[in-house]
Amino acid sequence: MSRTPIDPRIHDALDGGLARDALSPEARRAVERLEQAARLLAAPPAGSLEARVMAAIRRPAPSRLERLVRWLRTPRAVTLRFRPVWSLAAAVAAAAAIVATSGEEPPAFGEHEGIAQFVARFPGARSVHVVGSFNDWRAGTIPLDDPDHDGVWRAAVVLPVGTYEYMFLVDGERWVPDHLAERLVADDFGRENSVVIVRPVRR
Amino acid sequence: MDVKGDHLPDAEVVARVLAGDTDAFAFVVRRYEAGLLRFATRMLGSRDVAADAVAESFVRAYRHLASCRDPARLRTWLYRIVANRCKSYLARRPFADVPLDEAPPIADATDNEAAVERAEQLAAVERALARLSPEKREAFVLKHVEGLSYEEMAAVTGERIPALKMRVHRAREALLRALEQLE
Amino acid sequence: MRLAALLLLAAAPLAAQSVRSRLEGRVPAAAVPAVDSLVRTAAGEGLPTEPLVQKALEGGAKGVPAPRIVAAVQLNLSELRAARELLVRAGDVPPVTAGEVTTVAWALRRGLPEPVVERVVAALPRPPRAAALHAVADLVAHRFDPDSSADLIIAAIRQGVREERLLDVSTAAVHEVQRGRTRPEALAAVRRRLPDVPPAPKPARGTVARARRPAPPPPP
Repeated sequence: MSRTPIDPRIHDALDGGLARDALSPEARRAVERLEQAARLLAAPPAGSLEARVMAAIRRPAPSRLERLVRWLRTPRAVTLRFRPVWSLAAAVAAAAAIVATSGEEPPAFGEHEGIAQFVARFPGARSVHVVGSFNDWRAGTIPLDDPDHDGVWRAAVVLPVGTYEYMFLVDGERWVPDHLAERLVADDFGRENSVVIVRPVRR
Repeated sequence: MDVKGDHLPDAEVVARVLAGDTDAFAFVVRRYEAGLLRFATRMLGSRDVAADAVAESFVRAYRHLASCRDPARLRTWLYRIVANRCKSYLARRPFADVPLDEAPPIADATDNEAAVERAEQLAAVERALARLSPEKREAFVLKHVEGLSYEEMAAVTGERIPALKMRVHRAREALLRALEQLE
Repeated sequence: MRLAALLLLAAAPLAAQSVRSRLEGRVPAAAVPAVDSLVRTAAGEGLPTEPLVQKALEGGAKGVPAPRIVAAVQLNLSELRAARELLVRAGDVPPVTAGEVTTVAWALRRGLPEPVVERVVAALPRPPRAAALHAVADLVAHRFDPDSSADLIIAAIRQGVREERLLDVSTAAVHEVQRGRTRPEALAAVRRRLPDVPPAPKPARGTVARARRPAPPPPP
């Protein structure tokens, strides 16, 4: 597959070697578009990092032992790199199966329904909800549970087959994407949504 | 805080910090945080994640300040640290474990047509930029947003100038195409 | 025929009414008229409206200021238009279905280049193409070359692998890379094994037993 390259004089103009009026109207428009894009992107960001950086610098650097202990204690998302997401979900589900189920009948599944599994680590959180295009971005209809209070929150949700965007809402106020989700997409509000594809359970 | 320090050349600020004046590092932060934060935001697509990356980069720069071989080129050295951090983050994604907190600020909160148009244009450009590969995105942002020279870009990326020129050309083409697709 | 036309006319204002009522109270008041107008525009052009409503609701839920919500909805409308043009270019006879427009818009948002999307659409003459496009996008998200990714998925389609099983083809290629192969090697290895594809993941019995439907929304 090849693309027709753009007019090379556009590059000459942007690199400063060619005057604008030597360009065709189309090329000039391309140059202006790129310059406008650069101007929009150059808007200075708000806020300062000074306080945060200086506080971190003034804290004494941890000793090697302290760093090792901290490393051992922190859950390493990086270990998941060599394990596919679905098998993590399966491992979590297997662990959940050992815990006695509530005794209720499992939901009957329609032809076009599947299960979306959500797992996230939020130690210290009071509540975690999933909010997304499957519930009109309404907080409160899909809570995650942390029954053993180890900071690992889970939910298995019956949803119509399809593709959805979502985020977690922690303590009713903090929006956090699902970093275990393998698909991410820009939300057009400066952040990223996670994407889940729900597959039919019956097939 | 000694305001006079804001006019000291980089080499002298670095010398002071290395001599034990920790507070002097604040001049470095103030001087370069806006550019570095903007660069990281454009690379990573998220202001909050970028703030973490840049703050960590500054701390790392402070701890390794002695290894900045040419204090007069402090700016390129800092961009290099941030560029490497962004590269690592993008390579690890989506397995990175970074929470996002506040809503992003926007320039104009009043409800008028100009604000909407500007916000729409910026959103389209951000979306188009996100479609570029990290290498092309980095090349375009360093050249056209951060205004680095090719020599400075070579120092930041470790790539040779002819390769960088080609990357910038390809980035411009890719961005134009992406902008057209979003029209 | 006339009855159908009458019903359609009656349905339009009702549909519009329900969009406003979905937005009110959840989206900043300043944004509602503009979003409503964009939704009507989309409906008038025969484009899907639900993605636009969802984007507005999302902005409202996330506390985004009104101008930014309107800008995002406008951007999404442009993307839906581009998606439909692509489907027509790829050979779909108008009117293309709303579902397919949404699917192609998804593929473009996930970063697939237009020519690659066109190839996949052309390789699957009839909808649905969602799984095929997401499978290619999954590979691209893992830094596989877009054209080579499309080659693999199209090869799988031609060998009879259907719908969401195509997602398992991509997963297999990603696993090969995690085991140490280069990306071209990974694609070749999976391609050699077609139409055999590793089995689809099944949720454990405990998960199935635990699974619940979302709670109904609280009454207004």
